Amino acid sequence: MSTIEPLLERFRRRDRTALARLLTLIARGEQREAIRAALPRDPGPSRVVAVTGNGGVGKSTLVGQLIGVVRGRGRTVAVLACDPESPLTGGALLGDRARMPGHPEDPGVFIRSVTAPEGHEGIADDIDLMIRSLKAFPFDVVLVETAGAGQGDTAVRDLVDVLVLLVQPEAGDELQWQKAGLLEVADVVVVHKADLPGAERTESEVRDLLNLPGCRPVPVLRASSGRGWGLDELWGVVESLPTRRPEERHDRRALLRLVQQQLADRFGQMSIAVAPVLERWSRREVDDREAADEVLKALIEGRTER
Amino acid sequence: MTLQPQPVRIILAKVGLDGHDRGIRVVARGLRDAGFHVIYAGLWQTPEAVVRAVADEDADWLGLSLLSGSHMTQVPRVLELLLRTDLGHVGVIVGGIIPPGDVPKLLELGVVRVFGPGTPLGEISDFLREQPRRVHD
Repeated sequence: MSTIEPLLERFRRRDRTALARLLTLIARGEQREAIRAALPRDPGPSRVVAVTGNGGVGKSTLVGQLIGVVRGRGRTVAVLACDPESPLTGGALLGDRARMPGHPEDPGVFIRSVTAPEGHEGIADDIDLMIRSLKAFPFDVVLVETAGAGQGDTAVRDLVDVLVLLVQPEAGDELQWQKAGLLEVADVVVVHKADLPGAERTESEVRDLLNLPGCRPVPVLRASSGRGWGLDELWGVVESLPTRRPEERHDRRALLRLVQQQLADRFGQMSIAVAPVLERWSRREVDDREAADEVLKALIEGRTER
Repeated sequence: MTLQPQPVRIILAKVGLDGHDRGIRVVARGLRDAGFHVIYAGLWQTPEAVVRAVADEDADWLGLSLLSGSHMTQVPRVLELLLRTDLGHVGVIVGGIIPPGDVPKLLELGVVRVFGPGTPLGEISDFLREQPRRVHD
């Protein structure tokens, strides 16, 4: 624990390279508990906003534009841009940064690319710790860009104050907007690329179906990053929404994710404890489900080797 | 079973007025498939923007591609800024059209290696893997 104290000290003095290094440690899962303990639980009034949507809908471009809007209002901003990590090689091509105009002279802008493993709903592991670090640094606004998200990738909602969902014109028929999942949990829906034909129709379809009588009202608006349309209006809406209270985030799914992560960590650390099961499994003496049960038992009962 | 080795982070960027990005995008893809975390920073970057990206991303390596003939201006500027920003531990590799006479000059300035056109992708990833881990602090 003492090994990261000098780093934390530099971080508290607002040393930017210490922040960058801290995010690396978090991404690698190193010193997790020490970092978790060192960061304030509720680091202040920063607003955390996620931007999500399908791959190609324009998340990076919009976030790049929002950086300018937020800075124009005199507030500092940090971006966590998630892109997928290959399940085959562990490699990743993180291309979001290339779509965001750089602000090399402005200390009020910080952009970090992080990888989202397969099956983790488009966000990096321990992204809650990364967000807490950025809030504590502090940045006034933290923008989280998810990897291209599918209809069911809703985990990001629990981590942020406002969830902005991007859809694009001609993205589906009316039934598409009725499905459960991302559309249900969005706080704001943006019909992006609104300079393309069909944007108005898509906007009215989404608005009609999300704002049925008795439903939680969800603002729906059109924007085009390419043309610079609707960006100020979008940020105005985002800032006008109430910040989600911490107790609302105190939910079972977040706890489940933590349990899953701890199991995954133990699986990596407890090679000796699980080796006999894996061995029998690789000889096909037990099937997948039996092996999984035994691994689970070993992980719960065993001790970590480190 | 052991823990996965921690992926190496490399930023790839083009500095200056040089729109030829086919090569660097092929390298980006090749390194991705070799298990690297590649942060593609894109075209028309200034040395200042590249160094800021290296700092914020806490990258281990920086790969610069230049096909415009401006390498003897841009690369020294990037190296100097890296040193001045306390990022001397970051390894810099260069690719693109670099006349043979300029290669020793770049190496002398602190570039770790220059990869010319036609370099097999495996040669770059093997080279990076064989290098000792870049140490911060």
